[in-house]
Amino acid sequence: MPDILSQGFFAQDSAGGNWAEEFVRNVIIPRLPEEAAAHFPVEFGMVLVMLGCAGLFAAVVPLLPLVLVLAERKVAARFQNRTGPMRVGPWGLLQTLADGVKLLFKEDYIPPQGDKLLFLLAPYVIFACSFAVFAAIPFGQNILVSNFNIGIFYIMAISSVIVMGVIMAGWSSNSKWSLLGSLRSAAQIVSYEIPLGLSILTVVMLVESLSMEAIVANQSGGISDWLIFRTPFTFFAFFIFFISSIAEVNRTPFDLPEAESEIVAGFHTEYSGMRFALFFIAEYANMFAVSAIAVTLFLGGWEGILPELAVFGGGFDILGGLPGFVMKTMGLVFLMMWLRWTLPRLRVDQLMNLCWKYFIPIAFFNILGTGIWGLIFPEDTPLSTGISIAIISIGLVQAYVFVGRSLGQKSQAQPSSA
Amino acid sequence: MQKYIRNIYRGVWTVLVGMRVTIRQFFEPEVTHQYPYEHDYEKKRNVREIPKGYRGQLYNRIEDCIGCKKCEMICPVDCIMITGTKLPKGEQLWDSMNVVHFKDGREVIGIIEGSEKVKPGESFTVTNITSRQGPQVVADRFEASGATSRTQTFSSDEVSRIVTRNKVVFYLGQFDIDMSLCMYCGLCTEVCPTECLTMKDSLEGVEYSTFDRTELIFRFDKQEMYGKDEAEDAAAAG
Repeated sequence: MPDILSQGFFAQDSAGGNWAEEFVRNVIIPRLPEEAAAHFPVEFGMVLVMLGCAGLFAAVVPLLPLVLVLAERKVAARFQNRTGPMRVGPWGLLQTLADGVKLLFKEDYIPPQGDKLLFLLAPYVIFACSFAVFAAIPFGQNILVSNFNIGIFYIMAISSVIVMGVIMAGWSSNSKWSLLGSLRSAAQIVSYEIPLGLSILTVVMLVESLSMEAIVANQSGGISDWLIFRTPFTFFAFFIFFISSIAEVNRTPFDLPEAESEIVAGFHTEYSGMRFALFFIAEYANMFAVSAIAVTLFLGGWEGILPELAVFGGGFDILGGLPGFVMKTMGLVFLMMWLRWTLPRLRVDQLMNLCWKYFIPIAFFNILGTGIWGLIFPEDTPLSTGISIAIISIGLVQAYVFVGRSLGQKSQAQPSSA
Repeated sequence: MQKYIRNIYRGVWTVLVGMRVTIRQFFEPEVTHQYPYEHDYEKKRNVREIPKGYRGQLYNRIEDCIGCKKCEMICPVDCIMITGTKLPKGEQLWDSMNVVHFKDGREVIGIIEGSEKVKPGESFTVTNITSRQGPQVVADRFEASGATSRTQTFSSDEVSRIVTRNKVVFYLGQFDIDMSLCMYCGLCTEVCPTECLTMKDSLEGVEYSTFDRTELIFRFDKQEMYGKDEAEDAAAAG
């Protein structure tokens, strides 16, 4: 049995060859009886292989939100000293499944005064877009649906369409809560796409490619080769990217579009049953997607901490780095949950303030800095990485000292002024 | 410009402080009880003290019960069910019978040899320890008492209480209290002439939760107390 993964089961050949045709010619036909092999229609086989891959992808990816919803509830419970769902299945592991079945049987209500076509269409737009993002994410070596040469650009483009679905849902519901939520969402997503895109640009400048596979390949030398440590500017760009992507996926502290205490549930207030479930699944798929993109861009993708080893240690290489990738991504997802249970929701003006006055100028500064860095160190050498890590650590220590002093002065000054 | 940078630093710093607070909570033990399976008083957390005289779960010390049925009669909601069988005149089950309660909750039913006034520091022998009878619960209780033969010797240090009954001439086949019906008025405990029917003021009787309503019917009868098989043997021999 040849190693299917190493033959590029999922990956498009980088030379542009048709992987499905190769798979049919090299793997399927030699296995058939001689007569059948002679008459086997290659085109038909290619379609079957493609459908099989698409089916596998379509079956596995929607399971992610099922896991994530449960993880979110369990983590949230831990942060509040609770246990979370415990009754359905062992330790409540089947709770999401039970909720999904419940939602399937619920009434599919359509507001009679709303715009019916848009109302029906909106969940599909959002769902389709958030899953289309997964097509360009390299989960591991050769575990990639399609290796576009414009991968990260495609992801940005597709994820921007989500806001269309949000506005469709808000407008067509004929509800003030929905409309308010969708307009907030539009304002927020449009604003935060800018620092997001600018942070991605720093990476693209260093890698000189938009292809996700190339970005990962550029970080193959262990943890010091990860783009987050390559220059001091990408270090800041990572945090801007990550925080902006939290805003992109409407999570606390940027959950204004679906703020329960203000506008019920935002743009999906009027949805019920499976349509609501589609929004819900899309939301959690997005959460995983942005974490996966952050990992790919800044944290080495499926590459490991040490050079030569594909993942965190040997032995995982058989899965093409998938376990390492999933662990890193889940770490970022956990960070999102952690932030969710730490920070209160921002006001609208604070949200815009943060984006336009802080993130965007810093992101521009990062681009400038990365450009200058690229001029000084045209090749990535241990020297440049060392200087970068030194600058980052000195900066952090300085920040710690500075903040400790200034906050200390502040707390001393307060009683005298009062 | 300085204010701008300080704002950034303070923003990051305060977020980190908040995150430290939440991650500490993350590793704290949870306070949840898995309620119907786990009770407050079992976990000994968040439990308020129960005041003396609290009218909780009814409990009957059956060896003191004379089967007068006063409680059954006075109960406003008819939650007590008693079946007492009086033996024919002249017959009796035992001349005298003892129920020995031990400090660890075991109990042994039989006849104490010699004086019933057991002195501390001495051991005593119980004969005619009753055999297994009645429902499985009784059998379990018999086994839990640790009595393996009809005659056994115990140390009086272990004993908490010894109940003596003379001339057992009746037989309580059933003493059931349906706590799902009980209204906790306490009238039955007031009319009880032997003070054997009481309401618990311990944590156990504070709340009940079961998956089956019949589990709320508390059965207090101890079939082995009457040594039924011996009575039958005696009747067959006589």
